[in-house]
Amino acid sequence: MTNRIAVFGGTIVLTVLALATDGRADTISYADAVSLLANDCGSDIRKYCKGLNLGGGRIQTCLEQNEGKVSPACTVTLANVITSISQRQSAQSSFATICKHDIAQYCKSVKGEGNVLSCLNKATRVNEGQCGQAIIDAGWR
Amino acid sequence: MGLMMSASEGVAQEINDKQLVRTLGRVESAAPAIDVALLAEEASASAGKGVANLPNWQKLSKLSQLIVDIEFENGSVAIEPKSYRTVGLIADALHHPNLRRYKFLVVGHTSSTGDAQHNLELSAQRANAITEALSTTFAIAPDRLYSIGVGEEWPLDTANPKAAENRRVQLINLGLVK
Repeated sequence: MTNRIAVFGGTIVLTVLALATDGRADTISYADAVSLLANDCGSDIRKYCKGLNLGGGRIQTCLEQNEGKVSPACTVTLANVITSISQRQSAQSSFATICKHDIAQYCKSVKGEGNVLSCLNKATRVNEGQCGQAIIDAGWR
Repeated sequence: MGLMMSASEGVAQEINDKQLVRTLGRVESAAPAIDVALLAEEASASAGKGVANLPNWQKLSKLSQLIVDIEFENGSVAIEPKSYRTVGLIADALHHPNLRRYKFLVVGHTSSTGDAQHNLELSAQRANAITEALSTTFAIAPDRLYSIGVGEEWPLDTANPKAAENRRVQLINLGLVK
């Protein structure tokens, strides 16, 4: 089946990088992170980074090189977005280690990472522990 | 800016990474194997003649896939900031445990405005720019990503090859990473 995604004009729903009580920022999705970047840095990117692609750190480098010219909101957002993306990556790579005990306890016979995740998400006790938090930080709940 | 998906039934709906994961994760065990190098050879030999009827390109229709709109600066490989969200959504989906075992092909398409050979090259560069953004900014393992440009050779709206609808990006599940 082929589906079609189209981008329509409208309002961006901003996800705020809220600080949790322990001082650690909650992670947000990659989509929300780069939406913030597009919203707060879009005009600066079009002005100072024309022709440069998002990949290879080129937009980041360009915005940093033009720090004196880009809007203060963009500078703050860029730093937040970089932090958020790296936090989510780190949560995703530490999932297997953090959840090892819960997997052994609740989902021992389950095969395949996707099935293990579904199993963990159904186990109520997991939700309350570190593994549950890791799943949330990874963006998988 | 909102991100919407209109399903094949024509019903527009809000799309999120969970829907992307579901759509891209429907893999048939009998899905045909795809040789990306062969696709590139065929597309290159067919500039201006179309690829829809070529056997290897026909195989792609049988695979789990999505069509997305990603806007680029005119004549450039630079993804417009308004399309960053679409690339981010794809990244969220490809990082999900249900899809982490699979490799994906990004196919760039253009309308028939301009020279066919130029369109072929630009679409390949743009598809490559998307896979590069996915593998660097969004840390998708590069061995899970393939890109190819097919220019104007496979229009969605065959009656109107210059239609904007024909400018699109296809994201196709190529099966398990070996």
